[in-house]
Amino acid sequence: MMSYTVPRKFPTTVVGSYPKLPPSMDAIKRRRKGEIGEEEFHRIVREAIRKVVDDHLWAGVDIISDGEQAREDMVVYFAERMKGYREGEWVRVFDNVYFRKPIIVGRVEWVSPMTLEDWRYAVSISQGRPVKGIITGPYTMMEWSFDLHYGDRRELIIDMARVIRREVEELVANGARYIQVDEPALSTRPWREEAELLGEALEVIFKGLEAKRIVHICYGRLEKILPYILDYPVDQLDLEMKNSNFRLLPYLKEYGFDKELGFGVVDVHSIQVESVEEIKGYIDKLMKMDFIPPEKVYVDPDCGLKRLPREIARSKLKNMVEAAKLAREEW
Amino acid sequence: MPIWGMVLGGYPRSRYVRHTLRDEERGEVRVGEPVKAVMLGASTVIGAQVSAGLRFISDGMLDWHDIFRPFAEAWRNVAVDGLLRYFDNNFFYRIPVFLDEPEPTRPVLSPRVRLFKELVEPGDLKVVVPGPVTFARLSDNKSGMDIYELAERIAFALEVEVREAVNAGARVVQVDEPFLADVDATRDDAVLAAELAGRFSKLGATTILGVYFNMPEPSVYEAMLDAKVDYLAVDVIDAPERASRVISSKGYGGHKPVLGLIDARRVMDDRLDYIADVASKLALDAEEVGITTSAWLDLIPYRYSLRKTILVGRAVELVAERMGQPVISHWG
Repeated sequence: MMSYTVPRKFPTTVVGSYPKLPPSMDAIKRRRKGEIGEEEFHRIVREAIRKVVDDHLWAGVDIISDGEQAREDMVVYFAERMKGYREGEWVRVFDNVYFRKPIIVGRVEWVSPMTLEDWRYAVSISQGRPVKGIITGPYTMMEWSFDLHYGDRRELIIDMARVIRREVEELVANGARYIQVDEPALSTRPWREEAELLGEALEVIFKGLEAKRIVHICYGRLEKILPYILDYPVDQLDLEMKNSNFRLLPYLKEYGFDKELGFGVVDVHSIQVESVEEIKGYIDKLMKMDFIPPEKVYVDPDCGLKRLPREIARSKLKNMVEAAKLAREEW
Repeated sequence: MPIWGMVLGGYPRSRYVRHTLRDEERGEVRVGEPVKAVMLGASTVIGAQVSAGLRFISDGMLDWHDIFRPFAEAWRNVAVDGLLRYFDNNFFYRIPVFLDEPEPTRPVLSPRVRLFKELVEPGDLKVVVPGPVTFARLSDNKSGMDIYELAERIAFALEVEVREAVNAGARVVQVDEPFLADVDATRDDAVLAAELAGRFSKLGATTILGVYFNMPEPSVYEAMLDAKVDYLAVDVIDAPERASRVISSKGYGGHKPVLGLIDARRVMDDRLDYIADVASKLALDAEEVGITTSAWLDLIPYRYSLRKTILVGRAVELVAERMGQPVISHWG
């Protein structure tokens, strides 16, 4: 296997998802109709993963992902593959667009690896670049599911954390060096008790884990709960920054941020491609605040790129990588 | 201290309504079919509320894509833009864009009041409007006015709506200000929301100020209490301990409370014993107590929304029994 050395300063990475490519869209539809089983599903999805990895390598991203090509939805994918869920019922997302929000009807349990196969395939074609193991976090799984079994949020989130822990162990045992738990739901409820609830669950997931431990949180009023988030048992906080105009940075400085920072420099909600100079300017802005060394800054997009057209996503990654290269020369 | 019940607002769409509206978007439906679907859907949810013995009845707003949309689309100088998360829900609304002062061009509420007012009998038909402060805060303001002036202008436009709705037969007006429960809400927001909500009370209908998705901060809640409305509806169940603390220390400011005790965002059956306990504690010395859902029911699947409606009725009976109080119901 080829080896690759991740740059010491400003390594570049992705949050995870990438625009759904035709093979994966087709596979998701066919699986849902019952035309193909799980094995065939992942076999077809490989075509899409290969294209994602090609794009990441073309852009020069240091730590890549499988683009979450198998995941129709970040909660539904896992709900369909663990015990304790039944198929959801229709709830509205916007306008007249509905999705099946999964329903927990029993104790949630790990059954078999959910992300391993796609991750391993991405590793096999990554030309030695590390591939992040990425899993939807317990808080988001809980908040974006209905519960007909537990009736107690703490009990539910801890059981969910155990399921995720088991999946993470599979990834680490197979060589994953970067494990990221995604928690977009946390920022929608920015209250101390919610942040502490997730903190407890993260202890279950990450305790004693021999890998880089990352939690990704995006959007919302994170400054309201930042002191509690800073205590999370993780090595890296991966945060959306560009979309909120880097509002969080003064708070990070004020609270004495001492972890690694996944520094979101690309707005995934905008099709406007940030220029190399713009992105370099964002990195400069962070460094001039003088509270974090370049070795602790991981340059990445605000969030997953799944809502962007592929060409836009590629261009954004390319410019991000070029900007990080320039920053390495200067800082 | 009589006890009574209502559902706070909208309902989810049934499969038939959903599919008919989808077909309409694709241009694959006969003229009149969407209206018929919404009428049938509304009849069902109205029937559920009437059967549950509820006092104020909502038509379910099944054709509204979000709480702002029908107004934004009916007003000159307002457009709708991209999607934004609606508070802490996994639901997204289209952002109203105010380019200038809103001017109503066609009525939103009164036509539906004429359609539904007979269906709700013997209950009272309730119309719901987005509160002016929430409307302004969740919009893109390109009007050149500051946010408070914009809220005032929105209130003027809504007054026109509500006046026509009351003339058409609406008996109750609910003004929804969920923004007041948001972490970014300030006391100034609440002061203005209270003042603007009071304007609707002069239009000849019973008025309710609805605040949900959380319990407001104490200072915000305190300012809300100045609203000259008949009822104050608050979400108790999202954060029961916090809600109890705030209500116990601040009271209801002379309003009749409507307690959001049936969880509108979770599908599990509510524990009615627990609800009765909380209601008894929070009744304080109110003149009457309403029991309602913690928010609109449109964020859960259709069949659970009907079940929650029944649970509101059962909760009313249990609370009344526990407290030894009568029930206000159109059943007599």
